[in-house]
Amino acid sequence: MPLINLPAFSADLLAEFESLGTLRVDTPVIQPAEPFLAMAGEDLRRRIFMTESETGESLCLRPEFTIPVCLRHIETATGTPKRYAYLGEVFRQRREGGNEFYQAGIEDLGDTDIAASDARAVGNAMRVVANRLPGRRLAVTLGDQSVFEAVVGACGLPGGWQKRLIHAFGDQKHLQKLLAELADPRAAGVFGPEVERLAISGMLDDEARLVAHIGETMEATGYSTNASRSPQDIARRLKEKMELANTRLDPDTLDLVREFLALDMPLGEAPAALFRFAEKTGLTLDGALARFDARVAALADIGADVGVIRYRAAFGRPLDYYTGLVFEVEVEGTPAVLAGGGRFDRLLTLLGAREHIPAVGFSLWLDRIEAAIAASGGAA
Amino acid sequence: MTITIALPSKGRMKDDASAIFERAGMKIVAVGNDRSYRGRVEGWDDVEIAFLSASEISRELGNGTIDFGVTGEDLVREGLANADARVEFCARLGFGHADVVVAVPEIWYDVDTMADLGDVAADFRARHGRRLAIATKYWRLTQNHFSGSHGIQLYRIVESLGATEGAPASGSADIIVDITSTGSTLHANHLKILADGVILRSEACLVRARKPAHDGDPVVDRIIAAVRGAL
Repeated sequence: MPLINLPAFSADLLAEFESLGTLRVDTPVIQPAEPFLAMAGEDLRRRIFMTESETGESLCLRPEFTIPVCLRHIETATGTPKRYAYLGEVFRQRREGGNEFYQAGIEDLGDTDIAASDARAVGNAMRVVANRLPGRRLAVTLGDQSVFEAVVGACGLPGGWQKRLIHAFGDQKHLQKLLAELADPRAAGVFGPEVERLAISGMLDDEARLVAHIGETMEATGYSTNASRSPQDIARRLKEKMELANTRLDPDTLDLVREFLALDMPLGEAPAALFRFAEKTGLTLDGALARFDARVAALADIGADVGVIRYRAAFGRPLDYYTGLVFEVEVEGTPAVLAGGGRFDRLLTLLGAREHIPAVGFSLWLDRIEAAIAASGGAA
Repeated sequence: MTITIALPSKGRMKDDASAIFERAGMKIVAVGNDRSYRGRVEGWDDVEIAFLSASEISRELGNGTIDFGVTGEDLVREGLANADARVEFCARLGFGHADVVVAVPEIWYDVDTMADLGDVAADFRARHGRRLAIATKYWRLTQNHFSGSHGIQLYRIVESLGATEGAPASGSADIIVDITSTGSTLHANHLKILADGVILRSEACLVRARKPAHDGDPVVDRIIAAVRGAL
């Protein structure tokens, strides 16, 4: 069905996707809302267009393609690896621009060569943007959550703090707040009066007794012990919380984490810089750095212009299914993100896939690309 | 221009609001019988009174169909996006106190702050196969507090239009965001308020819809001054 509002370059784009060995898929415009809200969180609710079926099922207009493409993959159970391509309209309430616009992209599911498939996603995104905007120099930003995880892990922080920091990665304000809190020499953590009583009765040192006590209290107060958090959950995290409260980050380690987060350099220089950082700080980051280097090498292998890519250590997305690579493609000197992508190895299992399926992909903002073409004097 | 003031149509809110207006020298009389939903103010010919439900008042303030309203701050902030740009809170009236709070089961010994809750929410899906569920009728206030102020994204809101405090015990949600004035209902349901879990300390307010026509209208200023003077 040819639509008259399709961007003029759509046919070229689809031909290019096909030449990249992808399978074009379509997904319904009307989607169940639940998976989007469950994956992206409640914030999305105000940005998507929701409606209800006659039977009360929450539905929404497709706000993006990644989740529908992955769900379709799980349902059709055609095996991996698969490289899917899509082009279609998405619907989101945006601060700027219209509420319905076209996106296109590629999702690469099930390729176990992480470095090569990461490089291919970045390289393909750069190539299709560059081909729409001949003569314009791109500016690509690249981040990698797994390097941050390795840094935090090597600092010897307790598990609870590591989780907190990793969870905040990509949300600069929140992360800096957590770091400041962690370095504050005053003990953190608020404990209720019940916990003091438990401490006095010696129960905090006896996990079996604590679990039994919590279980009995739940029974007595009418809280079913299976619907929500179990006595074991509560006892375990109480222990973790006391560890959190007793751990202060020494100033040297804090400086080191901040120094890492401030790293911002051409990608070509990043492997050596990260190696120097590890050597200087004495942190063991070998595995993460080897994977980082392999990705940079793979990018060079496929002929991507590594010179326009910057590595920013603090760049990430605060969504729990993004696990490693994230990147954005812009035209140099303009702020509009024309393509964005990353690795989401956790998404397919979260959506119900039985086996672990590594996944990486990107999507293109076709309306912004059209605007960029118009701005460079080409025909949109 | 006739200025419309909307007052709560029933209950203590209606009586308390009428008492303040009377002290302010704006005695309200019903038009027709005293069950009527329209009224006027003795000696103020250019003011009319509409009796509406508290939540309608917040909505009509947003629509600009009334000029002033007496209603709870919680309803205005929940009902209107960018509330401060659209309405002005002219006076806090000292009645209808209610706090909008985040409350969790007392038995969650490990959770006393929003940061604790963030940890629990982050792990919830991995442990329970679903997101942390919050029962509330305050969608907007919950989202602002959780995502805006505390960086917590991973939760689901379960809409609850009544008896919200019972949701955690019945298993229909894990925690709640609700209003409380004395805390006794929370306590009876074995719930505790987090140390930084007070989202809003609400009370009845005189609220003005920001309308260009109000600029330089002496009646608007007189109403605000009279009500403030009566507090």
